[in-house]
Amino acid sequence: MRRRQRREWEARRRDILFDYEQYEYHGTSSAMVMFELAWMLSKDLNDMLWWAIVGLTDQWVQDKITQMKYVTDVGVLQRHVSRHNHRNEDEENTLSVDCTRISFEYDLRLVLYQHWSLHDSLCNTSYTAARFKLWSVHGQKRLQEFLADMGLPLKQVKQKFQAMDISLKENLREMIEESANKFGMKDMRVQTFSIHFGFKHKFLASDVVFATMSLMESPEKDGSGTDHFIQALDSLSRSNLDKLYHGLELAKKQLRATQQTIASCLCTNLVISQGPFLYCSLMEGTPDVMLFSRPASLSLLSKHLLKSFVCSTKNRRCKLLPLVMAAPLSMEHGTVTVVGIPPETDSSDRKNFFGRAFEKAAESTSSRMLHNHFDLSVIELKAEDRSKFLDALISLLS
Amino acid sequence: MDAAEVEFLAEKELVTIIPNFSLDKIYLIGGDLGPFNPGLPVEVPLWLAINLKQRQKCRLLPPEWMDVEKLEKMRDHERKEETFTPMPSPYYMELTKLLLNHASDNIPKADEIRTLVKDMWDTRIAKLRVSADSFVRQQEAHAKLDNLTLMEINTSGTFLTQALNHMYKLRTNLQPLESTQSQGF
Repeated sequence: MRRRQRREWEARRRDILFDYEQYEYHGTSSAMVMFELAWMLSKDLNDMLWWAIVGLTDQWVQDKITQMKYVTDVGVLQRHVSRHNHRNEDEENTLSVDCTRISFEYDLRLVLYQHWSLHDSLCNTSYTAARFKLWSVHGQKRLQEFLADMGLPLKQVKQKFQAMDISLKENLREMIEESANKFGMKDMRVQTFSIHFGFKHKFLASDVVFATMSLMESPEKDGSGTDHFIQALDSLSRSNLDKLYHGLELAKKQLRATQQTIASCLCTNLVISQGPFLYCSLMEGTPDVMLFSRPASLSLLSKHLLKSFVCSTKNRRCKLLPLVMAAPLSMEHGTVTVVGIPPETDSSDRKNFFGRAFEKAAESTSSRMLHNHFDLSVIELKAEDRSKFLDALISLLS
Repeated sequence: MDAAEVEFLAEKELVTIIPNFSLDKIYLIGGDLGPFNPGLPVEVPLWLAINLKQRQKCRLLPPEWMDVEKLEKMRDHERKEETFTPMPSPYYMELTKLLLNHASDNIPKADEIRTLVKDMWDTRIAKLRVSADSFVRQQEAHAKLDNLTLMEINTSGTFLTQALNHMYKLRTNLQPLESTQSQGF
């Protein structure tokens, strides 16, 4: 009698643990938690507030939290921003122009648009690229129509943003938002923050996020594995602006490579439906494939690919499938990085079940895999075991 | 002397800070530094003030001469006079540089103050150059300049003395040629 009860208890415990560990999702950004801690100790500074903002924006850029949570957290940070940055500036009390100023902005969600040209930014932001379907000729024409609708001459738009005509830049945000509404893009503007010091240096939070991400995941060989992390960390401080600008250049390269890879995948129909999920695999010889061997870059690529695929396909069932993406990691070890992305829905709660699924599939086929990234949905797999691993995954998820 | 040495000497000047921590009186070789209480102003040497500011433990108060109107008056006075006018502090240049680099958020109108102090410095250095030039031309034996600060003296001092040494050597080499014949083979 007692043994039966114990067996039932054990079975229930296993079920509860399985439900608990099945999904992986993200909570409040640790940068924000540290900032709140510093605030409790009354040791908070404007600089720390900026780092908390960058942490939150990183979660939003990599689609780790829901829109609702992002907006709530932005509200929390906005209170801190007005507390630190509301000096009553008038004739008598102007602050030196070198001081750090953070301000709340309701700015466009075009990536790096102030450090790039408007045209490049429109082509390389996944939101606009997917909605306009820029991998097709028809999409390019729609982009031209969009620009013509706003009255922006092509020559101006292809210039560096800082060199654009001031008369065009004045109402740019509202103009773009209006035209974007006409073309079916309702969320062109997003609530974010920008930092401003000296005469020249103005950055949006998402700019800094992309710069540090590229620094951390750049494919250049280095001595120890931690060098990239330290470089990315350095670039966040005000005295290392040259590293930040270097990161911005790397980010531009990364974004361009992402969009080109997406365009080639969609045009050559590399995304195939395997039943319960979509599967795409990057071949060895694809240009810039080494840029996508690290987890965050590959995850970002896969998310954008899924968004673009959902916009491009007519198959209703395929729009609700998750995506599994594989990219070569290292030639000499013969490994690939595999990443799993949950399906794309408007109100998804960003819970990812691929971590456990990968584990179970690898166990059942005894494939050699390394499952030790921070993100549980990214694994390294031996290339030979790929096909049996995929078969196991298909049977697991169907 | 090195410019860094002059700055080191300038760091002994007293400035007022408002700490955000509390500490009892500390007894250093150079003197006693009063008890620190959060929110109450206390006078400390500049080196300690800068260090505390960098560790975010205090707020700096600008010295009373670091004010836009006063500096404007001083600058105009300096430009009118032909000789050097007395400066608000014997280390005004170093104080300005250190305070504006590390604590510009505690000093109102920091950019204007930087421009005004630089104007004063430029005027004085120009006067120093003119005076050195006339000294050399008229081959004076000694000159007296009032109200010069150590940093200004240091900027032109080494060069001036070495140049005068060279000129002395060149001049003393001229005379023997007039009185003796050069040795032939």
